[in-house]
Parts: sequence; structure tokens; C-alpha cells
Amino acid sequence: MSGLRSWIARRLLLGVAQTVAVVLLVFVLTEALPGDAAVAFAGDQPDPERIAAVREAMGLDRPAHIRLGEWVGGLLHGDFGTSLASGRPVSGFLADGFGPTVLLATVTVLLLVPVGVGLGVLAARREGRFTDRLISSATLGVYAVPEFALGVLLVTVFALRLGWFPPTAVGYGTDLLAHPAALVLPVLVLLARPVCSLSRLVRAGMIDALAAPYTAHAQRYGIPGFRVRYAHALPNALAPATQQLARTVDWLLCGVVVVEALFVIPGLGTVLMNAVADRDIPVVQGLAVVFGLATVVLNLGADLVTHRLAPRSGVAA
Amino acid sequence: MKRPGRYAAGAAVAGVPLALAVLGPFFVGEPGARAASFTPGGGHWLGTDFVGRDVLDQVLLGGRPVVLVALAATALAYLVALPVGLVSALTHRRWLEETLMRPLDVLLAVPSLLMLLLVAAAFPPGAVGLALLVALVSVPDAARIVRAAAAEAASRPAVEALRMQGESWWRLAVGYVGRSILRTLAADAGIRLTGALYLVATAAFLGIGVAPDASDWAVMVDRNRAGLFIQPWAVVVPALLIVALTMGSNLLVDAAMEHRAPAGRTPRDRVRSEPAPRAPVPPRKGRRP
Repeated sequence: MSGLRSWIARRLLLGVAQTVAVVLLVFVLTEALPGDAAVAFAGDQPDPERIAAVREAMGLDRPAHIRLGEWVGGLLHGDFGTSLASGRPVSGFLADGFGPTVLLATVTVLLLVPVGVGLGVLAARREGRFTDRLISSATLGVYAVPEFALGVLLVTVFALRLGWFPPTAVGYGTDLLAHPAALVLPVLVLLARPVCSLSRLVRAGMIDALAAPYTAHAQRYGIPGFRVRYAHALPNALAPATQQLARTVDWLLCGVVVVEALFVIPGLGTVLMNAVADRDIPVVQGLAVVFGLATVVLNLGADLVTHRLAPRSGVAA
Repeated sequence: MKRPGRYAAGAAVAGVPLALAVLGPFFVGEPGARAASFTPGGGHWLGTDFVGRDVLDQVLLGGRPVVLVALAATALAYLVALPVGLVSALTHRRWLEETLMRPLDVLLAVPSLLMLLLVAAAFPPGAVGLALLVALVSVPDAARIVRAAAAEAASRPAVEALRMQGESWWRLAVGYVGRSILRTLAADAGIRLTGALYLVATAAFLGIGVAPDASDWAVMVDRNRAGLFIQPWAVVVPALLIVALTMGSNLLVDAAMEHRAPAGRTPRDRVRSEPAPRAPVPPRKGRRP
């Protein structure tokens, strides 16, 4: 047990290190590089007076390490600073966009796991036959396709030609759950890439597990095939896939930004894109920290689950 | 499907967009006077786009930037990843290895598109900047693959023999280890390229690193969306080309992977679908990964 405990401790430490690194990276990339946020914000009308005003408002005349200290101190208290463009607190922006984005992500992940695992197990059980070839080629093909191209094509076919779903979420506000039809296409687009990678991994892992000596042994004992497959083989097949699930968090975040832009959903991705367009550095920083933290935490969780599923695979840290 | 069949399928799907990207710009006519925006037909085969330009001309022009920036980003990523990976696999100094590889783990913790957006917020990049950024995002994965492959090659008896013979470090690293991991790297470069194509297209769609009226398939999809109801061709054609380009290149890469180890599924299969192990699991020197 002490081995497990020390492994968890090391993994948690890595998570903390990554969190610190993300916060530092966000600061360095947006503020400490040459040129500064005030010039960037003034942008198209580089009016010296305006630049000076922004610089003072942001406290850019003070040394970088002091600003970093204050910013991090604020973050620890949940204070993300104030927007340059509107003067509103950044946490207000976060609260606005939170609902739709979390809804999208939750629905996607809830569907992703059964669909991905199901397709993978199905392909593995029919290895080399038509079903497997069909699933394998389809997942391989869709795997690398950017969400926006896929999304636009789906909109053209299902919203414009067939008229089954609304083409965008315009007019539904933030309460998307009340309009499930508007959610179908966005979730479908978000699912496309992660489902492909997950099912390919589950298929590979499941084929390995079904060919392993312990499966044959269990069968010799007369344990029913169903139980062998789902209680013995599947957990081992899932270990690599769980780590991939964490990787797909990265894709989901990318996907959420694109899908929200494509379907005009007022979530965090839209807030982020607007802030990038306005060069509203504090808002961008706040969102980046939230997205980065989500990635770190979810990866941590996935590693812990992987460790639980297949302790000997010795994941990470 | 048999291997030649898989190559053929990939080549067939990726062929059209690639040919358009390479040769398209040579077939563009004189930019005529701008017509009304979003008109179907009227002397334009595919109608006009949001500022009244000929969609066909834009399609012919728009592939080159996507492909070029992705290629440049992949090349740049390898330019950094190759020395970093080789040195950290072959050095005997732990601190050097750690200083080279640990910062890359940190980069991995930040979602790639978020990184692009972060930098783009402070310094709106051009095409060169976009290539640099995409390269930066691809370096960690590429460096890990280089190091894992090189560490495996470096643990072979042949390296031991070369070392005892007093061969120079350069000869060892480049002449033996570098050469023996070449095929692995070629396959991995293919994966990086599909990833780069994805990121470059997505960034362009979001308006990063491109002019708002650039002749670029991804920008066309974005800008012409407003007229999707009246003139769908201006969106559907470039979107289909991007789908074909990314899909086909992924099929080609996969066929090439299979080629490396013909015995069915390969150990690389896993590396391939899972671009990087999450946290540092280093194949230590002297042990097989």
C-alpha cells in the first residue's frame, strides 16, 4: 500500500507543478514578452495617451515580478482581475460562459465513453471481418478532420437540406438544455474526433486482452464468455484508453472553442474568442488559467483511474 | 484492405486537394472586376464569395497556404525536436536530460489551441508566426518520440561496440542512432503533419495568423458562412477539400505505419493514436522502453 501511496503523492506533486507551470506560462506568454499588453490593446489606434492610460490601469509600469505576485495572489482569492474592454470583473465573464460550455462538455463526455468503448469492443469481437473493417476505416478517416469543416458540412446537410435541426443556437440564450434539437449537431461534431481515437484504442487493447493467456485460462475454467470479456478483459483494455480520454480533454477544449464559434453558442469559447479579438489580456489570462487547470485536473484524475484499472502498468510520475 | 489498397485509398482521397494546393495557383485567371457577393452562377462556376470574388479562383489559391504552413511547422518542429531528443537520449548526465525534457512536459499541460490563442491575443501573428506557433506546440510530442526511439537504439550492443572502439559521439549519435531511427521518425513526421494541418486549418478558421479576406480554404469556410443559405458552394467546396486533405493524409500515414511492421497491429499503433504518454515515463537508458 505504501507503494501506491507514494505513487499518488508523486502524481499529485506533478499535478501541482503543472498547475504552477501553467499559471507562469500564461503570464509569460501574455505579459512578459517584449511589447506589452497596453500596446497590443491600443492596437489599431496607437494613441500614446491611450497607451499610457491602459498601462497605468494595468500597472504595467511596475516590474514584472511584482505584477506576477499580485496576479497570482488575486487568483488564489478567486480574483481574476478586470476586463480592459469593459471594466467588468473577469469572474463575471467566466460565470456567464460557464453554463453552456459545461453542458456541452458533460453531454459529450457522457456519450463519448459508451459510444467509444462500445464501438471498440464491437470491432475487437469481429476482428478482421466486415464490421471491424467498417468501424476501423471510418474512425481512421474522421480522426484527423478539423471540427469546423465537419461541422459546416453537417449543418449544410442536416440543417439546410433536410431541416432536421437548427443551423445555429442563435436565439436560444444560455439555456440550451431546454432546446435539445439545437444541441444535437454541436455534440455530434464535438464527439467525432474523441470517439475515433477512443474506439481505436479500446479495439487494440481488447484484441490484446482477448488473446492474452489469462483470458484463455478463464475460459478453460468455464467462466461464461460475457464475464470474461467484460469483467476481465475490458478493464485491461481500458487502461491505455483512459489515458487517451485525458488527452481528449485537450481536443474537447479546442473543439469547444470551434464549435461555439460555429454554432454561435455563448459559452467560454465564445468569451475567449471575443477577448482575443479585443486583445483583452486579463480576460484571456483568466480563461487560459481556467482551461489549463481543467486540463491538469482531468489528466490527474485519468491517471488515478488508470492506475486503479491496471496497477502494474506503472503510469507516470 | 491490403496494403497497396490502403495506400491507393489514401492517395485517392488526399490527391485532389494536394494537387489543387500545389498546381491550383497556376490556373488562376486574371482577377476580374468584383461581382455582387454571394451570387450563384452568372459566369462564375461556383458563384461568388462574400466580397464578390470568384469562388473557383479562391479555391485554386486557397490550398497552398494551408499546406505550406503545415509543412513548415512540421519541419521546424523536427529541427528542434531532433537535437533535443537525441541529446537527451544519449547523454549520460541526468541533469542535462531533465533540463531538456521537463520544460516540454509543461508545454504538454496546455491545450494546443489555447496556446495559439494566448499568444495571438498579445501579438497577432502572420503566416510565419502561425507556423512557428504550431511548431512550438508540436515539439514536445516529437521530442518524446525521438528520445524514446533513440534510447532504444542506443541500448543496442552495436552502440556499446562503437563506444568501446572509441568512435566519436557525433558518429555514434548521427551515424548509427540517427540512421537507425529514421523510419520511426518518418512515420512520426507524418503524424505531426496531420496534426499541423488540423491546427493550421482550425487557427485560420478562427482568424488567427491570416488576413480577414485571405485566399485560404479555412478562411473561406469561416467568411462565407454568412451566405450559406443562398450560396452554399463557397463554403461546401473548401470544407470538403479540407476534409479530404486531412482524411487522406491520415490514411496515408496509417498505411505507412503498417508498412513499418507488417505483422498486423504494431507497437507504434499505440504511440500513434496516443500522441504522448501523459506524464514523464522515461525509458531509462540501458533498458528497453
